Amino acid sequence: MTPEKEVMEISLPPSPAAPAPRAPLASRRYALEVRQQMAWPRQALILAVSLAIGFGISAAILVAAGVPAGELLNEFVLQTLFDRQSLQAVLFQAAPMILVGLGAAMAFRARFWNLGLEGQMIWGAIGATAVSFFDVGPHALRLPLMLCMAITFGLVWALAPVLLKLRLGVNEIISSLMLNYIAGNFLLHLVYGPWKDPKDAFPYSPQFRGFERLPEWFGSTGPTAIALALAVTLLAWWFVGISRAGLYLRFVDANPRMAHAVGVPVRRMVLSAVLLSGALSGIAGFVVVAGQEGRLTQAFYTGYGVSGILIAFLARNNPLAATVVALLVAALFVAGRNLQVFYQIPFSMVQLIQAIVVICVASSDFFIRHRIRPVVGKAG
Amino acid sequence: MATALQLTGITKSFDGFKALSEADFSAGWGEVHALLGENGAGKSSLMNIAAGLYAPEAGQMSVDDNPVQLGGPRDAARHHIGMVHQHFKLVKPFTVAENIMLGHPLASGEGSHRRRLAQLEAQIRSKARELGFDIDPRQRTEQLSIAEQQRVEILKVLLAGARILILDEPTAVLTDSEAERLLSTVHALARSGAAVILVTHKMADVMTYADRVTVMRGGRTIKTVDPKQVAVAELVQLTVGDSVAAPVRGRSPAGEPRLRVRGLRTPGTGGTGGRRALDGVDLTLHAGEIYGLAGVGGNGQSELAAALMGLTEQLEGELVLEGFGDLAKASNAERRALQFAAIPADRYGIALAGALSVAENFGIGQVHDGRYGPAWRLDSRRMQEDARAAVAQFDVQGVRSLDQKAALLSGGNAQKLVLAREFGRVPRIVLAHSPSRGLDVRASAEVHARLLAARDAGAAVLLISEDLDEVLALADRVGVMTRGRIVAEFEQPADRQAIGQAMVHE
Repeated sequence: MTPEKEVMEISLPPSPAAPAPRAPLASRRYALEVRQQMAWPRQALILAVSLAIGFGISAAILVAAGVPAGELLNEFVLQTLFDRQSLQAVLFQAAPMILVGLGAAMAFRARFWNLGLEGQMIWGAIGATAVSFFDVGPHALRLPLMLCMAITFGLVWALAPVLLKLRLGVNEIISSLMLNYIAGNFLLHLVYGPWKDPKDAFPYSPQFRGFERLPEWFGSTGPTAIALALAVTLLAWWFVGISRAGLYLRFVDANPRMAHAVGVPVRRMVLSAVLLSGALSGIAGFVVVAGQEGRLTQAFYTGYGVSGILIAFLARNNPLAATVVALLVAALFVAGRNLQVFYQIPFSMVQLIQAIVVICVASSDFFIRHRIRPVVGKAG
Repeated sequence: MATALQLTGITKSFDGFKALSEADFSAGWGEVHALLGENGAGKSSLMNIAAGLYAPEAGQMSVDDNPVQLGGPRDAARHHIGMVHQHFKLVKPFTVAENIMLGHPLASGEGSHRRRLAQLEAQIRSKARELGFDIDPRQRTEQLSIAEQQRVEILKVLLAGARILILDEPTAVLTDSEAERLLSTVHALARSGAAVILVTHKMADVMTYADRVTVMRGGRTIKTVDPKQVAVAELVQLTVGDSVAAPVRGRSPAGEPRLRVRGLRTPGTGGTGGRRALDGVDLTLHAGEIYGLAGVGGNGQSELAAALMGLTEQLEGELVLEGFGDLAKASNAERRALQFAAIPADRYGIALAGALSVAENFGIGQVHDGRYGPAWRLDSRRMQEDARAAVAQFDVQGVRSLDQKAALLSGGNAQKLVLAREFGRVPRIVLAHSPSRGLDVRASAEVHARLLAARDAGAAVLLISEDLDEVLALADRVGVMTRGRIVAEFEQPADRQAIGQAMVHE
């Protein structure tokens, strides 16, 4: 059956009187129809309008909270993007977000709800730190080795939920989420216990040496991390857009039963997509410890899991779009932090704004997929 | 006898397919009225109209000799019409009483919810006692057996005030003794003054319990008779239509056996009435022949198709492909490489991915063996070119662009796209399950021509269809499937009456 015929009717409060030739808007009947396809300029327009609504509401809230209306544009756009330091902070923030966003997108493309991005990130960071802590390999190969370990550890942590799902049908939403807590508590064990820096009393690992940190570029590690993230983006884009596996994944996503029937190796595709997702999160962990923190800390991962899911969702699992969205989310994050410093806006306000923008964009999907039109000439 | 329910000149179409044309039906108070016909004859559609689920395009309906117009099932309930559907409409995790509450006047009555629920439970107990049902209103419905769930459905419509009770294929899911019990209960209900309409394809139910029977065929009501006055053979003939000799088609004799199925069984009891869905299927397909498998739907046809397509994990029995060996061990990509073509019945469930493009839906068939580039690079241009050629060759209409979603195609054109993919290369084995369901005459004829062409090119074709006309027109041999087995086989020209008997007698 084609969904074209799916029509549900919403009846808004019916008018008790006989229908007048031109009834007021609210008393007419409306039909909600499923729309099949929409030209992309219109989709872009709808998206732009919803973004504008989101920013409008956010601006109103900020003004209500005491930010002078005239300062909003200055703070949000100019300060964030045209101030060198802020821009670097954005890039700095964006790199791991791009990576977890891609990670989420890969798993979601296989209809696998990987909520374990943070756990996989933690293990990636632990893998990278282990190479430093145990002084493995020559100095010149130290960074690539750390990257490889991060990839391996992230991937192995993703293996558990995907095998549980494929073999035993265990719901991955629960298993991957719960594994985050195991990873997080193991991390605490390490930084409070065996891996604690002997130099002082804080819960973190010893500082990485110079050759164990991402090299600086333009005076910061931000651009290096971004370059790495963009390279990974290109790889992800090749995987989903150019390779045969990408076609297979589209079928797994669109209709797994049908995909299986026409010979797509569904289980193998799910397995590879999820392992890739874990590997990408592992790289994100590597970028944070080797690029930002310079050591393993106890809470470096907080919030990345949610951000990754959000980025993948807004980007509709498209790798290139995920990069753009991640940059946007990072900019929002940095702008929010600036507001926090200069206007004493609480951080929860920043999260509130993010949530509002996301809800607006998410609801735009409804108008892309449906059309509402008045019912004409229908009796009763 | 006053007329309880009267339908006159009812016409209804779906997607341009005429499901009902000028159907007439009437049932009186106090009678059990059977509605008999093959699958797709329009019985359920007609009764869904009576229950307010569909709005007819033309025709009148009256209850107790008063004309009515139904705006939905609630309107139907107001006119004391209640329907028990073939697929039960119960909220599984809810209790019996909660489920019955949903359609009951007490749902919005006075007093606390708890008190009303208690009141309803008392009503359920007394009604159940009256009907001889053993039902605990506090039990959750998912814990009930199929027969018990059906009793809950009956209680639900009766307690909602139904006096015209429509039962859609009520015995299809029951064992023989359960069916007998149910039918005598509804018979007693009718005797106490209700009107009972029994939608069925089972001759035995009709002969024993119905006071009158209306036969439907091809969306029309053919005749209403008293089952006591007619012979079974006559009813069968009314149901399956006039005996038209199958057109004689030139064909070479069948070739060597190509696919052998021996003792094929599905594990567990997924079939009707607690039986296995496939319960020992024996079947041999020869090269260059069409084997038509007739039967009433739900007797294991879907499971057989799934088994052949590699969608069933655990199977007992043999599935041997000549020159290859055990087909059950082959992956679905290997099946494709062996030129196994499948036209599943569920077009958007198993045959096509509606959200993906026409080109992708076409290309997925041959992408595995590297026709569209190596694994690291998909040759989209070649895929597009092939798809364009195939769309033209198989006359798939309504393709504005190859990037258009497959879901936008109409039923017939979607089926042609499936054919284009599956018959892109000369197949060795073809499985076609209800290939012309929902298609118009022209599209059906094209599908049939493709099947015959595949056979003439030496393919072994298995045609599974509930449409006996289709089977008789195409098949070189005819098998009848009942309760997960092939119970009879006929050489062409086959006797239509005999096939009909084999289908309905169990």
